[in-house]
Amino acid sequence: MTIYSYWQVDVTDAATRSEIGARPRTPTVFRDVRTRAINRYDYYAQIAQAAAQTAFDGVFFPYRPDSDDSQTVAAAIAREVPRLALIPEFPASVGSAVYAAKQAVSFQRLTHGRLGWAIARPADAATRASDGDHVPDGQLVERTEEFLTVARGVHGTRPFSFAGAHFEVQGGGFEAPLNRVAFPRVFLQGEDEATLALSARAADVHLFGAAPAAVLRGRIEQLDALASAQGRSVDYGVIQQVLARETDDEARQDAARAGVAAPAIIGDYDSVAARLGELAGLASITSCWARRLRSRKPIALASMSFPASAR
Amino acid sequence: MTIDFYWRLPTHGCHGSIRHGAYDRGDWSPLGAHNVAPGLDRYGEDDGFRYIDHLAEIAKAAESSGFIGGLIPSFPNTDDPWVISPLLARETSSFRFMIAFQPGFLNPVHAARMAASLQRATGGRTVFNIITGGGGPAQLWWGDGFSHDDRYGRTTEFLDVFKGVWRGGGFSYDGRFYQVADGGLSPLLAAEEIPEIWFSGSSDAALQSASKHADYYLSWLEPFDQLTDKFARVKERTAALGREQKCAVRVDLVARATEEEAWRDIRAGFENLTEERRAQGRGGPTDSVGAARQQALKPSEARRYDELIIAPNLWGGFNLLRGGPALGIVGSYEQCAAKLDELIARGTDAFILAGTPHLEEAYRIGEEVLPLLGRQAEALLHAAE
Repeated sequence: MTIYSYWQVDVTDAATRSEIGARPRTPTVFRDVRTRAINRYDYYAQIAQAAAQTAFDGVFFPYRPDSDDSQTVAAAIAREVPRLALIPEFPASVGSAVYAAKQAVSFQRLTHGRLGWAIARPADAATRASDGDHVPDGQLVERTEEFLTVARGVHGTRPFSFAGAHFEVQGGGFEAPLNRVAFPRVFLQGEDEATLALSARAADVHLFGAAPAAVLRGRIEQLDALASAQGRSVDYGVIQQVLARETDDEARQDAARAGVAAPAIIGDYDSVAARLGELAGLASITSCWARRLRSRKPIALASMSFPASAR
Repeated sequence: MTIDFYWRLPTHGCHGSIRHGAYDRGDWSPLGAHNVAPGLDRYGEDDGFRYIDHLAEIAKAAESSGFIGGLIPSFPNTDDPWVISPLLARETSSFRFMIAFQPGFLNPVHAARMAASLQRATGGRTVFNIITGGGGPAQLWWGDGFSHDDRYGRTTEFLDVFKGVWRGGGFSYDGRFYQVADGGLSPLLAAEEIPEIWFSGSSDAALQSASKHADYYLSWLEPFDQLTDKFARVKERTAALGREQKCAVRVDLVARATEEEAWRDIRAGFENLTEERRAQGRGGPTDSVGAARQQALKPSEARRYDELIIAPNLWGGFNLLRGGPALGIVGSYEQCAAKLDELIARGTDAFILAGTPHLEEAYRIGEEVLPLLGRQAEALLHAAE
């Protein structure tokens, strides 16, 4: 069993770092020679490079509508971190599922197959309307599922036709060489039953929010049962914020400064490692519970910005 | 007077020579020992490169030889410009990414976020080439069932919304294709410049949409008088709406030290044509007015290369040698520069140039042709006054 760990590059965290608009406008003592050529994308690349050098398997880019687009950031740094998996999160309202699949195929071709797709949980109705997205609440799960069905369909089948409530395509599907790459691994999120059921049908990996191990265990069992009923197995992961320092006191002090609190894991290195180990241990529990699912690969996502103490 | 010259990035592979039809740059034909990025190493293994590595070479060649940027075309069997541009953003410095896309395939609010993010990643080097035509089975392949004229209506609304949300918060829109309630980019994103918008399309619906939103009207090269009329019509129509629109031409060149050498390459390319390649040159069904205007040249019926010389240094058979428009410029460096100068004198404000192979020709045309430009154009303009 392998556990994958991904670092989160949060496009909103530390928004003043490397941000042109945040540079001092008033005269300062130091001679400031920074130009527009030095910008926040350098910082994103730096975080990813640090994650690569410290043996993470990849980086996760959350969807932040008020900041840089996650897929643009992932592509912009991709060629500087040749080994890392890149998992941008974006909503199913980005546009045509065919076009999304086509972009994914290019990304896979040009980066040696390192893309993952994390579909963001839908925003509330007013936010969706401000985004030009008018799919009603009751059809959001169906829309995400159709988005994935069409994207996977044109990726894997030619000719592919589909006529749904949200997407349609006639005679679609990619020719060589676009058809030679794998579809990105699909990551879905959420705790409610409808979302877990959607993951059971359509996700490669389901990401849970941070929660006590006992709570997570219950949700994992629920997901497993739903997936088994579909004849599938779904890997799972946890998006877990961590703040680790040499001593527990230092960790708590920095957490208070940064406004970090539970369910973040805060503590000295050993205790944080032990808590993450406990999360990893959930995998072996469930793999005993369901022998068939033994090959599952749990994912841990650490979400602290780098370095946290700089804020 | 300065003119923006763009180069073209080939997103469907590239030939090593205009004389031969094989796409041996990239993995668009069966991989062999001669393929460039990706290819096979001497042991027959994947050499670890990807096609983007070749595109990066072309972008850097264009950037360093005087081009302002490059057009990145998009078709069903190409790599995608929205992916290519950010991948190359950080290893180029002045190269502008002209992203070709059909706006109907993206949510305009999300597209605005993507574009503003790319502006931030590149220091404002994003340019749009909005494409709306095409049509036929290809449009259904994309999952788009709208009619030709509806697609232009949708493009207009897309750009209404795209520009509207870019002004910041509180934007609402109630269109036929798009509705937005109280939307707008965050200040961080809205602080970026809206990308320059290039538009193409030869139909009335296209011209109407272009006259509202486009900064540049882009046409394939057409016979010069026909092109001059078209540009005059575009500028007149835009002026009537109180806007100004510039006109641009996308054209392939075969430029050599002597005219004889240039025609020798064209002739060899023509004589190497297969029947299959000729058939492809006939083109498929389309409701693109621009494509139909080019097909009227009937290059696939020609038996000799020189039957397709429609004017001095203008050859109408390029679509036989590679995918794309039929008409291009062939001649010595001076003759090619003279033709471009004539186009400038006839109202062309910007160019997208291309040549095969794109990497070597970016250097050749950047170094040999671009420096010759301007003198004759100024004389012609002066004479016209």
